[in-house]
Amino acid sequence: MVEVWQAYMFCSFILAIIGLYTIISMRNMIRTIIGIEIITIAVNLNFLALGFRNGVVDSLAQSIVFTSIVIGAAVAAVALTLVINVYRHYGTLDLKKIRRLRW
Amino acid sequence: MVIPLVLQPIVILLIAAGLTPLISILGEKIKFEKLRDLFAILAFALALYALTLLYFKIENYGAQSFILDNYLPIKGGVEIYADFLSLFVAFIFCGLGFLVSIYSVKYMEVDTGLDRYYTLLLILVAGMIGVAFSGDFFNLYVFWEMMCIASYTLVSFRKYRWEPVEAGFKYLVMSTLGSLIALYGISLLYGLTGTVNFKMMKEALSSTTNLQIPFYIVIAAIIAGFGVTASIVPFHSWLPDAHPAAPSSISAMLSGVVIKTGVYVLARSLFTLFNPVNFNYGLTLMIFGILTITVANFMALMQKDIKRLLAYSSVVNIGYIITGIGIGSYILFEYYNSKPLAALSAAAFAITGALFHLFNHAVGKGMLFLCSGCFTHEAATRDITSLEGIGRKMAWTGGSFSIGLLTLAGVPPFSGFWSKLFIILAAFSFPENNFMNTIGIIVVLNSIFAAVYYLWLLQRIMIKTPKVKASEASLFMVGPIIVLAVICVLIGLMPSLIIVLAEKAAKAMLGGW
Repeated sequence: MVEVWQAYMFCSFILAIIGLYTIISMRNMIRTIIGIEIITIAVNLNFLALGFRNGVVDSLAQSIVFTSIVIGAAVAAVALTLVINVYRHYGTLDLKKIRRLRW
Repeated sequence: MVIPLVLQPIVILLIAAGLTPLISILGEKIKFEKLRDLFAILAFALALYALTLLYFKIENYGAQSFILDNYLPIKGGVEIYADFLSLFVAFIFCGLGFLVSIYSVKYMEVDTGLDRYYTLLLILVAGMIGVAFSGDFFNLYVFWEMMCIASYTLVSFRKYRWEPVEAGFKYLVMSTLGSLIALYGISLLYGLTGTVNFKMMKEALSSTTNLQIPFYIVIAAIIAGFGVTASIVPFHSWLPDAHPAAPSSISAMLSGVVIKTGVYVLARSLFTLFNPVNFNYGLTLMIFGILTITVANFMALMQKDIKRLLAYSSVVNIGYIITGIGIGSYILFEYYNSKPLAALSAAAFAITGALFHLFNHAVGKGMLFLCSGCFTHEAATRDITSLEGIGRKMAWTGGSFSIGLLTLAGVPPFSGFWSKLFIILAAFSFPENNFMNTIGIIVVLNSIFAAVYYLWLLQRIMIKTPKVKASEASLFMVGPIIVLAVICVLIGLMPSLIIVLAEKAAKAMLGGW
């Protein structure tokens, strides 16, 4: 019998794989940031899944997830400002066309 | 309400960070724009004073901790915890921050937006001290991200040029990915133990030793995740881009202390949570360390840009530190059950060496980046060929630069020699173990190899006939460099000054077990 939290944990793993794939394969910088956000969500979901006790989520997991959402938003904001500046310098968001960026 | 002493350094820096924009506006009103610089320097000095007070308190009353009791739903609480290990690294972080803020007064003069620069610098150091003082993963993650976000923005501070922006984006993606992988590991650990507090996790983990495979996944996640910021070799590729792109003062901070924070978290969380006697992560750390040293040495040899060469040399030195820590935990895993006393003393020796090298590299590499900042400030180029002989025109900076290079090359009277000696001797402490002997020999060969390019750089900068016009930098820039050079020489002549502290820190690291 698969329990609810196991299903959530599995989903979170799948999300993390999707996010990693997005970062590795996409050439657009915005999509790279979307990949990072998907992994943030995967980690948050994993915390909630593992904090699942007797039908409720542990308050520790909840507080970590709230903090993590805020931090994720801050990172995304910084990343987007960098994207704007890159666009001003190169006129493109294509990672392959940007001069030195080698992953 | 009286703020407890453990919180004071962090609180001072954060309040100062919040006030800096206001002070900056005030400075513009009274036509004295350097007011914000003085304010930042004062904040660092106050934080250093608070750390000194904390040192005496820990010396007398043992490790200090502070728990937010009011926040009851969190099991284990949000804990601020300081022992000698955290204090040792916090002193390095705050001290280098202090010197860099003095250096920035003159060096950053040409830039605009300096109120943001000093705010971010203060937040960076507050975040690093917070990471060092964390007693649980919740706290650690928040301070960690605070530090990371501040350093992304500082790397791309000169956003009107293409290089910082691009390097900053690369750094952001890699480092965020690393933090998220580490957080994924922490979430698994939370699922296994039901808490994020270090002490409570340790109790929960010490009772379950039969189920090892999930713990190895967690260990792998922690090494890979925090290893990105520590720039262990497969994850190091952001560093050679980010360090040259940042302003030289920030390169000194990044190379001197930010990557050390990664090493600190790696060592602290692994040693606190997983007993090295039961878990064999020492082998992994040693192999990663050796790989880091060897690969980065070859890469450093090919560089033409002075700051890029220094950046690769930072990766090499992180390799030494990781190897030292790995040797310590490997000795405990292999020999603790057969000869506990010998194993404990050898492991403490190896970790003392690693922490001593952490100090030496922070001082030496911080100074080298500040010197290269002086050179590029005068000559407006980072190419080694065009910088030839510039050290002869700038006597103080050039002399300090040579001391820094000799320290990192491990030439005997200087401080870097002693810490490398410690790590190498620790590798040979059990002569019957061929694997550790091999590691020791590789470290020795790599140090000789590294000495070659340090001396080559020394010859290019100091001995060749000068090509560019340059004159000595101002006192604000030379002062911090000379202080760091004096520390290098002093520690080289009297290594026991720091070894005593590093030994206490190593005992704190191993003390739990």
